[in-house]
Parts: sequence; structure tokens; C-alpha cells
Amino acid sequence: MQQLTILIIPLLILLIISYGLIKRIAVYEVFVDGAKEGFTIAVNIIPYLVAMLFAIAIFRASGALDVILTILTPLASLLGFPAEVIPMGLMRPLTGSGSVGVLAELINVHGEDSIIVKTAAVIFGSTETTLYVLAVYFGAIQIKNTAYAIQAGLIADFAGFVAAISITWWYFS
Amino acid sequence: MLNKIWAGLIIFGILFALGQDIHDEISNTYNNGITQNATYSFVKKSPTHIILTLNDQLLNADIRNNQYLHIHLNKQSPAYLLDIATANGKDNLLIAHIVSKNNTQLNLLLPELHWKKLHAVTQAAFDMAKFAVKLAMGLIGIMALWLGLMQIAEKSGLIKHMVKIVQPLLHWLFPNIPEGHPALGSISMNMAANILGLGNAATPLGIKAMQQLQTLNSDKDKASDEMCMFLALNTSSVQLLPPVTLIALMGTQVSELIIPIILATSCSTITAVIVAKFYAKKNHKREKAGG
Repeated sequence: MQQLTILIIPLLILLIISYGLIKRIAVYEVFVDGAKEGFTIAVNIIPYLVAMLFAIAIFRASGALDVILTILTPLASLLGFPAEVIPMGLMRPLTGSGSVGVLAELINVHGEDSIIVKTAAVIFGSTETTLYVLAVYFGAIQIKNTAYAIQAGLIADFAGFVAAISITWWYFS
Repeated sequence: MLNKIWAGLIIFGILFALGQDIHDEISNTYNNGITQNATYSFVKKSPTHIILTLNDQLLNADIRNNQYLHIHLNKQSPAYLLDIATANGKDNLLIAHIVSKNNTQLNLLLPELHWKKLHAVTQAAFDMAKFAVKLAMGLIGIMALWLGLMQIAEKSGLIKHMVKIVQPLLHWLFPNIPEGHPALGSISMNMAANILGLGNAATPLGIKAMQQLQTLNSDKDKASDEMCMFLALNTSSVQLLPPVTLIALMGTQVSELIIPIILATSCSTITAVIVAKFYAKKNHKREKAGG
């Protein structure tokens, strides 16, 4: 599987360039033409990214997450949810580095073989940093009013979270 | 909705930090301005190196000029001492003032620590603002590379061939994109990159798709139905291969997680499609009712 990932990109680049040559495209000139936009897009993203990341940073640094956890933990165990993976569910849509930290911590405490780490890893692998993706994608085209994109993203994240827990526990038992 | 979430993160964060700090001030968690008593004994043969017993905790320390105490901390040291040290710019060294001492006991005064959480919150906000720029700058190169390659693939007609295969599915997901529009090409490239776990290719391709969707958008400030659907698909991360970060963290363990990940991510993707379709329909009805 991992070998496949390594192979795909060089083969794709080879395909694109050689197909371009066959079709008699001025490949170098066309490439530069397309690549020009890279800088403008990155600069366009900055205000959106600053807005999003600074809000998330304030929330994380305040320790408010810990309070939410202490409220949610008894609720989760009441429903039969493994409370240890809740931090992952809360962190994942907010920050990529934060959720990597959560996973590393869980591996440290419970070990890679534990069902808890497996569950957290499946949550990590099956969802995305929703707020970051939203800021980057809409920032690049200067969209300020995101309509219902955030609802759709977060509801999907929650569905992924619940599915990841149930599927992992079913799969490994 | 996003406005409320965004404001909520900031307001709740600051108010929560403020509440904790007020609590710390009232209960004087950090013993600000209070002289504390500790017993000590010299470590063998050293004239300055001592073992200090402060609040039942054993600590390593050095006496400097009979006036200052350099307390050496490590990860197991009490949290309040680590907090004070960090606030003074050093993670494992705490400099205390010696008020008085005799052969076995000394009175010491630790540096004061006020408004710790609010300080941390402000620092995090500034750090992240800087980091956001770094992150965006880091995107320039990889973005330019993929946008360049995409331009060749588009001009040569390669993407058109690709789109033909997935056209029926795309037409159902994005009914308002006219057939043959370049946006369909970028969308399918982005999805292919997502499915194969190629995170750093997926973002530039997704941005390209967004740009092309923007050309079809009637209100340039507001996200269209297609954009919301496309974003929901991306945040629910359709993928068959696990992301590289997960491989790095879990090592070979990842291979037995592939099936659960595929199943779970399918659930979230299906939910994303249903929710996006639902909202699109609701908005459409409202527009019709409004004339």
C-alpha cells in the first residue's frame, strides 16, 4: 500500500508531461503560466487563515477544552462510549497538529495495540481538519459568507466520529 | 453559523481564561508575595548544591551568593513551580529569593505569577497569527507545482478523458455544473488525490476546483451549493489509503486499520453528501417561495 503512494506521483507527473508533449503542447510555457497563480492564492489565503487559527489558538490555550471534557466524560460512559477518544473527536475538526498530539499522547499512555488507540487512529484517519480546510478553500477565492458549508462539514465529522467508534469496536471484537 | 462558531471560540476562550485567573488570584494559587519555609541539606562535598524540601516535595537547587536559589525542575516537578518557571522564560530553572536561612532551614520568596491563562491566550493568539502566514507561504511552492501540472493536463485534454469516466457520479453530486466545464476536471483530480491519501496534492487541486466553481457563482461573496458540496466532500475526506501522518505515528499497525478507516470515512462522506443535498434543497425551496 505504501509503495503505491510512492509510485503514484512520479508516474502521474510522467503521464501529464508526456501526454502534453504528444499533443504538441508548449509544456514549459504552459506550466509556468499555471504556476504563476500559486503566489496570489497563498497570499489571498492569509487573512482567512489568520482569522481561523487565532480563534482556535485562543480556545485551546484557555484550557476550556478540559472543562468540556469533564462534562462530556460521564455523559459518554453513560452511553457506553469510550471517554478516552473524546479529545480526538473535539480536536480533529479544529487543528491537525493538536489532534496528532492527542493521538501521540494516547499511544504513550495506552500503547499502539490498545483498542482506544486504534479507535482514535480511525477517527483521525477518517475525518479532516474541517475549519482549516474551510479557511483555505474559501480563502483562496475570497468567499466570506460560507453558507451552510460549516454545518455540512461538522455534521459529517460527527457522523464519522460515531461511525469510527462503532466500526472499530465491532471490527476488533 | 460560522460567525457564531468563530466568535464562540474566541469569547468562550477568553472568558474561561479570565475566570481561571480570577480564581487563581483569589485563592493565591502561586503564593504570590508569601514567604515560604523549606528545609534543606547540602549534597555531599558541595558547598552550594542542596536538596530542598518545599511543601513535601524534594527539589534540587543551588545557593548563589547566599541570596538566590536556583531551583532545577524537571517534568515530574510540581505543576505550579513549572508554571512560574515558564512565565519567567525558563522551562527547567526557577530563581527564588532567599529571605533568611540557618543551618537546616531557609525562607524563600518565589517570583510572582499573575494572570497566567490570559497571558498564555494572548501569546497563543500572536504565535498563531505568525504561524498562519508561515503556513500560507509554505503552500506557495507546492501550489505552483500542481497548478502548473494541471494547466498542462487541461490544455492537452488529458483531464477531459478522466472526467468522462466519473461524469455520471459528478453530475449527480453537482447538477448545476454544465457538461465539459473545467471545474469537473479539477474536482475529479482532487477526489482522486484524496482517495489515494495524497494530502499535499489534494489541497492545490481543490483550490483550483474552487476557483473554477467561482466562475459559475452568481454571488461572488457567498458560497454556492456546489462549493458547499465540494467542501463537505473534502472535509469528510474520502480516502482509501491512510494519510501519511497516521503512517508515521502508528507504523505498520496502520495496515490493520485500513478497512475500519474506509468504512468510517464512507459513513462520514455519505452523511456529508446527504446534509449538503438537504441544505441545497431547503435553500432552493426558500428562494422559490420568496419569488
